[in-house]
Amino acid sequence: MRILMVSPYPPKRDGIATYAAQAVAHLERQGHQVEVLSPEPSAAHHHLDFQAGPRFGAALARRVRAYDKIVLQWHPAFFYRSSDPTHRAAVDAALAVAFKIAPQVEVWVHEFEYEDARGGGVRAQASRLLFRSATALFFHSETERDRFLEVVPVDPAMAHLAQHGEAFVRRSAATREEARASLGIDPDSTVFLCIGFIQEHKGFDRAVHAFSGLAAHGARLDIVGSTRLDEPDFVAYLNELDRLCAATPGASLHAGYISDELFDRWIVASDAVVLPYRHIWSSGVMERAALYERPVIATRVGGLAEQAGDRLVTLVDDDAGLAAAMRQVLGVDDSAAEERAWNLDGDDLFTAVQSQVRERARLVRGGEVAFAGATPGAAVARETAPTPGTATLPVRRLPPFSRPPATSLRPGVSQLKRAVRRLISWEVDPVVHHELLLQQAVVASLDTLEQRLAAVEGAVRPGTGGNGAGAPAPADPSSDRGSTA
Amino acid sequence: MQPPVDRTGKIAFVPARFGPDIIGGAEIVLRHLAMGLQDRGWEVEVLTTAALDYFTWKNELPVGVAVEDGLTVRRFEAVKSTAGRDRDEIGMRMFGGEQIPLVEQERWLNDDVRIPGLYQHLLTRGEEYRAIVFGPYLFWPSVACSQVHPTRSVLWTCLHDEPYAYQSIFAPVLSGVAGLFLQTEPEHELAHSIFPQLAPHDVVGCGVEVPEGYDPERFRQKFGITEPFLLYAGRREGAKGWDELLEMFARSVVARGLPFHLVTMGAGDVNPPASVADRVHDLGFLSEEDRNDAYAAATAYVQPSRYEAFSRTIMESWLAETPVVGVGQGGVVRYHIERSRAGIVYDDRYEFEEALVFLAAHPEAAERLGASGRRYVLDHYQWEDVLTRVEQSLTSWTTAPAPAAAATAAPAVEVAG
Repeated sequence: MRILMVSPYPPKRDGIATYAAQAVAHLERQGHQVEVLSPEPSAAHHHLDFQAGPRFGAALARRVRAYDKIVLQWHPAFFYRSSDPTHRAAVDAALAVAFKIAPQVEVWVHEFEYEDARGGGVRAQASRLLFRSATALFFHSETERDRFLEVVPVDPAMAHLAQHGEAFVRRSAATREEARASLGIDPDSTVFLCIGFIQEHKGFDRAVHAFSGLAAHGARLDIVGSTRLDEPDFVAYLNELDRLCAATPGASLHAGYISDELFDRWIVASDAVVLPYRHIWSSGVMERAALYERPVIATRVGGLAEQAGDRLVTLVDDDAGLAAAMRQVLGVDDSAAEERAWNLDGDDLFTAVQSQVRERARLVRGGEVAFAGATPGAAVARETAPTPGTATLPVRRLPPFSRPPATSLRPGVSQLKRAVRRLISWEVDPVVHHELLLQQAVVASLDTLEQRLAAVEGAVRPGTGGNGAGAPAPADPSSDRGSTA
Repeated sequence: MQPPVDRTGKIAFVPARFGPDIIGGAEIVLRHLAMGLQDRGWEVEVLTTAALDYFTWKNELPVGVAVEDGLTVRRFEAVKSTAGRDRDEIGMRMFGGEQIPLVEQERWLNDDVRIPGLYQHLLTRGEEYRAIVFGPYLFWPSVACSQVHPTRSVLWTCLHDEPYAYQSIFAPVLSGVAGLFLQTEPEHELAHSIFPQLAPHDVVGCGVEVPEGYDPERFRQKFGITEPFLLYAGRREGAKGWDELLEMFARSVVARGLPFHLVTMGAGDVNPPASVADRVHDLGFLSEEDRNDAYAAATAYVQPSRYEAFSRTIMESWLAETPVVGVGQGGVVRYHIERSRAGIVYDDRYEFEEALVFLAAHPEAAERLGASGRRYVLDHYQWEDVLTRVEQSLTSWTTAPAPAAAATAAPAVEVAG
């Protein structure tokens, strides 16, 4: 069967892109011939702008007859440019036309915005039209399927359930010992792991709070992942998580983009994978943990309870449950701290109480107070202080000269433009090249000036940057006060 | 004594371009490795594009499977369907040292040549290979395809201390594969400094072909260059230090009244300053014999590139017993010169100028410097030794297929035009 997979695709770093690639491999192994259409240039065979509005639906409609089946990975963020109901209704209607023309259409629903499709307005009608035009819909949990059917009443016979990790394969061959050695993890420590894109709804901060105090029992919490987008809300959450980890002994944030292999290696190295999600439809991480038979602690949200099935999953309902589940992994007796008696003997009650308060807190915290003598804000400010190269940023951000496209809607004009371009390229190309060199030269000059300025500042005012070693200490301004008084 | 090597399983080599006339460090090395390992009994397949030109990526050869020079070569269509504006704009910002958001890095990566057919092939048939060797780290196949079967993916790294290397899109390539081949200790140190969680890796060096002989007089007569000259071979572009070399050369020979000319072979615009335009000679691409003779005829070879993972050309110069004047920044060239003691390192234009003054004043001493270079290359960079190290690394990083799988995994080779 000739199949067109419509989805983001590697090397795009995106959970659904990886999911699509594994689905393609699975279909190919079954003997199908699969081509992929992605929203941007990638390892896919074709690409079209999915966010082009109704034009995308029209372009898809022109292609679908060449295939026996269309498999579309659905996430609202892929297809809608805005939340404007008119825009969304137009997109749905155009896609519905493509679905009608295609011989078969499977839609794999990864997320759906229910509020969009409630009621009887045009937006809701368009959404229903779209999904009714498909041949089959697939969901990863019964809960999500039922919620969907409630809002989008399609024939229940076309709404199927699919095992989330059906096509998943192992990416790491490391043993637990090898994985730990490669990651610098003590073989004897107990490792809790939060892994995946870092965003507020994943609730990794809840895991840090729940972990507080467990470092004293030989445990560590590793949060591994990157923000999906560099937008202010995402970055702010990342910074907050960073601050929280820095203040929690045993908790570490490994922010950054990691490979699929390293992703799995972290799971192999862990003792428990923690999914403290605030909301989610289903979890690819739970599937990957299952691949390596790692226990999971997960909040009871979305379709996670159902996805858990009979796997090694402990479901919790709130933060207290999360903390209790983590302590249970360690075999920590929660009553031990409370049972320790206070020693209030002696004359200096204040010191006795204060010292025991500190000691008890240290045990619960699992270490000394972070940021002792400094405010957390100052530590963050130090990290975000301007670094060398700031002066050149405006120049480096200046986009290089880019020729206007030699295209036109008017017949024959595109050819004319291309001919003119060829005619003048001998003269224009050196100018473009020279402009790039000029930009590089300006950057180099500004960098040199900035470095020299920093060196001069360092010599005049040690501690302000630059190489101030050996420079004389500045005079104490207070020493002159008496003479001028 | 080395343990016996288990050569079961097929090895794929993935150069972006492949052919006997392809110029490009990694492409040449991957070709040598593929041929060398096949000669040693490995089953080898080359996965590459149908393109030959680095700039146009025009598909000039048939897509499909063929036997070329005794190797099974599977060619895929090179796709370059985008305008390259993201590549230019984002690349410029990367080059300026800016940390680029991942989404933009992905646009930068995909706004150049892509090989979807290769990705698809590895996705569906990658398990047929025991190891899949990509290289260099910067190319699309390495980034996009090494993650399909990371436990089988191996990288001929070619890491340079360049702004691109610090972008997060490359972290998975250097940390999430079965193994990394590194060519020198400076490259090894650099890899550790940029990527804290480096994949398994070995410094295996690199091999250099040893010519049978040299005839410097033949070169002088054939090209009519009788004055003493400095030689530069390679791509003439800013990243290779060519513009800087021209400027330093012009300043030095004019200011100090030095007799040298500058002879260059390779690709790219020359654009010499007017003051030395009559002293700069572009010979374009030379035959192997002419190239070897040029090395032997030169007073010194100059290497102004800071972005070298190995620097094949300085080895070729030393085999001809010609000293090297090389840039210190970047580390690799300095490392070779300081170990071989067969040249002069410069860290700025002043040192470069003094090096040229020395060459002009003491040509016999310069020759003595160069003579020790040949021994250095022969002791460290012979293909046979490199292949042995490569085999040891491959067998330790990858798992030989079970006998039954090995017997059935090799399909009959289809020979196409």
